[in-house]
Amino acid sequence: MTNAELFTLTYGALVTQLCKDYENDEEVNKQLDKMGYNIGVRLIEDFLARSSVGRCQDFRETADVIAKVAFKMYLGITPSVTNWSPAGDEFSLILESNPLVDFVELPDNHSSLVYSNLLCGVLRGALEMVQMAVEVKFSQDTLRGDNVTEIRMKFIKRMEENLPAGDE
Amino acid sequence: MAVCIAVIAKENYPLYIRSVPVQNELKFHYTVHTSLDVVEEKISAVGKAMADQRELYLGLLYPTEDYKVYPSHMIIVYYTPVCIFFLLIENILLYRHTRYGYVTNSKVKFVIVVDSSNTSLRDNEIRSMFRKLHNSFTDVMCNPFYNPGDTIQSKAFDSMVSAMMVQAS
Repeated sequence: MTNAELFTLTYGALVTQLCKDYENDEEVNKQLDKMGYNIGVRLIEDFLARSSVGRCQDFRETADVIAKVAFKMYLGITPSVTNWSPAGDEFSLILESNPLVDFVELPDNHSSLVYSNLLCGVLRGALEMVQMAVEVKFSQDTLRGDNVTEIRMKFIKRMEENLPAGDE
Repeated sequence: MAVCIAVIAKENYPLYIRSVPVQNELKFHYTVHTSLDVVEEKISAVGKAMADQRELYLGLLYPTEDYKVYPSHMIIVYYTPVCIFFLLIENILLYRHTRYGYVTNSKVKFVIVVDSSNTSLRDNEIRSMFRKLHNSFTDVMCNPFYNPGDTIQSKAFDSMVSAMMVQAS
């Protein structure tokens, strides 16, 4: 059980270094997403091995597994699943707390930085490896003054069983 | 009743100074600076006392300034390099000043100027104020966007200090 603070500080150092390197919030967001994607495509194997959940029957089940099993396993939090769209292809994960952002306060010159964008990439990459194409983005962020952090996930399509996508 | 809270870096420049009412700020800078000299003296006097965090208590220090402008001030100096000093500064003139200081192991100093003519804050209350300050300070340090040595611009720190300023006065 590694120290959560070390993890938080490591992620913080990563984000600030990216900010210094790219000097452009949008670019940093993209890089975080890419990095998350690369983590996700690998993490899914670990997840499936450790959690031994079977194939999900539908997107709702997927949402529950993500919230109750995956987030719990890797971040120690259990977000709630809400705001299902009428078609059942979009939902929100509401995170009361986000261990990545402990102690973090966004300075004013980084107002369009999506600090935890790595998480979006991870979810996208992991689901792609189980043949689901999704779009993931943050719709609310405590760092920007919202009360909660909300991740919006949208199901795009089921992918063909083909060779795994390469790294981005 | 005015209260001032200051955070001073180990190189002895201020990272954060807030005072109420605001126009006293310059005088508080001055006060804090003079108290730093006192602290340095006391620290060197103690020498290698590797005591625990709350040990040494020192007595009175007589002030050189005159704070007639303010109605009763109490400035208590409370320092802990590795230990705690209490320095009570009593103004020989009409008003009493109490300045509390606190020094962390990393030589960052906190100074609280308390103005309480009627209510003298108990030792424990001051200690808990410093503990809170220290905790908020470490949170500020952990913010990846904060560069050590910068002035402290954290909203969380500001709100904690505001809460203490209201409470202490």
